[in-house]
Amino acid sequence: MTGRKIDLQDALFGAFLILVSGGTLLATTKLSIGNAAEMGPGYMPRAIALILMAFGLFFTAKGLFRGGEGRGIERIHLRPLPGILLAVGVFALLAESAGLAIASLSTVVIAGFAGPEHRFFESVIFSVVLTACAVLLFVKVLNLPIPVWPW
Amino acid sequence: MDLFTNLALGFSTALTPENLMFCLIGVLIGTAIGVLPGIGPIPTVALLLPFTFGLDPSSSMIMLAGIFYGAQYGGSTTAILVNVPGETSSVVTCIDGHEMAKQGRAGPALAIAAISSFFAGSVATVVIVALSIPLSILALKFTAVEYFSLLVLGLFAAVILAHGSVAKSLAMVVLGLLIGLVGIDVNSGAARMTFGIPELSDGLDFVPVAMGLFGLGEIIANLERKQERVLIKQSIRDLMPSKADLKAAFPAMLRGTAIGSMLGVLPGGGAALPPFTSYAVEKKLAKDPSRFGKGAIEGVAGPEAANNAGAQTSFIPLLTLGIPANALMALMIGALMMQGIQPGPQVMTEQPELVWGLIASMWTGNLMLLIINLPLVGIWVSMLKIPYRLLFPAIVLFCCIGTYGISNSLFNVWVMLACAGIGYFFIKIGVEPAPLLLGLVLGPQLEENFRRAMMLSDGDATVFLTHPISAVLLGIVALMLVALMSPALFRKRREALAE
Repeated sequence: MTGRKIDLQDALFGAFLILVSGGTLLATTKLSIGNAAEMGPGYMPRAIALILMAFGLFFTAKGLFRGGEGRGIERIHLRPLPGILLAVGVFALLAESAGLAIASLSTVVIAGFAGPEHRFFESVIFSVVLTACAVLLFVKVLNLPIPVWPW
Repeated sequence: MDLFTNLALGFSTALTPENLMFCLIGVLIGTAIGVLPGIGPIPTVALLLPFTFGLDPSSSMIMLAGIFYGAQYGGSTTAILVNVPGETSSVVTCIDGHEMAKQGRAGPALAIAAISSFFAGSVATVVIVALSIPLSILALKFTAVEYFSLLVLGLFAAVILAHGSVAKSLAMVVLGLLIGLVGIDVNSGAARMTFGIPELSDGLDFVPVAMGLFGLGEIIANLERKQERVLIKQSIRDLMPSKADLKAAFPAMLRGTAIGSMLGVLPGGGAALPPFTSYAVEKKLAKDPSRFGKGAIEGVAGPEAANNAGAQTSFIPLLTLGIPANALMALMIGALMMQGIQPGPQVMTEQPELVWGLIASMWTGNLMLLIINLPLVGIWVSMLKIPYRLLFPAIVLFCCIGTYGISNSLFNVWVMLACAGIGYFFIKIGVEPAPLLLGLVLGPQLEENFRRAMMLSDGDATVFLTHPISAVLLGIVALMLVALMSPALFRKRREALAE
């Protein structure tokens, strides 16, 4: 660490808020604001976005200049984040087209890779058991309208 | 007597075989997830919401509530046996509960935890009954002006009393409010921030948001931590605590119940604050404070009673005013809205069997927990042996299917995916996501009441100060803010929360 400390946690939170607020302001430019007595659809979103902007600037400034405790970000591990996101993404892609069975098999196996200790065969067997349970529970008992097989 | 007819109505609803069954399912699921570290009541309730649509509103509320207080029971089992809190609310139970287990007194520790919880739950049920009617009568006088101020107060209080940085939590509430505005504007029919996505026109569903932020985000962060669990490997015989144990625990139980009941009603009190407060009080009152941390039975009885009482009384603001005290209550509000019931003071009069049935079910549910929990302790312990590497893929899968089930749309699964990433980001930068959920659920109501109030007053914002009830409510908000700014109190709060 160099002389001046940057509180990364605060700074990133601030940047995130500014981003969301800016996006909102851009997305609502076409909506009419109206006035306080007769508010248009754009009144509240823009008002709230501006408050959020203030929060964002506050945290960014606090993180960059006041340093605080100079907290950094804990190391980001390589497997968990992409593993879980991929597992969910694959489910979203496969569930309706390939059916629940294939989708949940793939999700469970891919999610297994996200963990620190991975045992491939155990994971495959477990995914079969889990898929059977899911199909029984959600499709047969709870009547979720989702295809089980691609055909 | 009005009170007794209400209670009779409640018990007649809660004691139907069907509702007893849903209550049992609720408390069993609740205990299970309470026992398992890594999955909390928020994602579980979110997960089960879609499947309660087909049920009668009272049955669905009874079951969802059972999950919540069942989780408090389960959490303490894990705390005592493994020294890992199953839920945040049972962090304190770890200290002396696990110490007792190490000394071979796991049985009495578990029994005292269950008895304290049952006692507190029963008292809390009575507190709910006693407070509900006067509060709802008061609330019926509310117009849009008062309601707006009440919502503001609720949000502020929830943020200030919960843990974490207040400024960050406030920012998260505002963020939640903003996300809550996505969708078609009711007054003008204009689409707001939908980016041309038709699925967004009804607004962002809070279930995928909750599951992403609380369920999946938490899993990703968990996988990065090293998991270490030491299970106490002794057979749990001698469940019954001795007479001396009971004598020592009883006053602590009473105090814990009182503390929990009071703190639970406050917004933000919910489940986390009461046990900490109770533990601190017991330690102060004890003749020999050094026993604490070395297996003092008061250190189990007090916090357990407080946490269960708090969990239940946090339903009071929800049932009487339609204001959620914490993120989980926000989900319950969502559940009501999905059933087509607008939460608010009118629910008490319009849906008496729902409100009183729910209240009565808390008592029956607590009784079930007391009866089933101790004999089933073996099953819960064996659940603890399921390794996390098998547990988390199952949770991921059930989150996916559950989210899909809300409206049978894959769009929600994508929303959950995005929220999982954002939730992980929040954990990494040390921001508590719960306030966001409060904002998201209350956002539309807040806007609606604000607009209506401003329309009635012709754009004059002072209306919030000229209406007496509203002025008082906002005055409390101002007082809280001032108190928060004062450095002395700030330090105290920090100490209290750090303990």
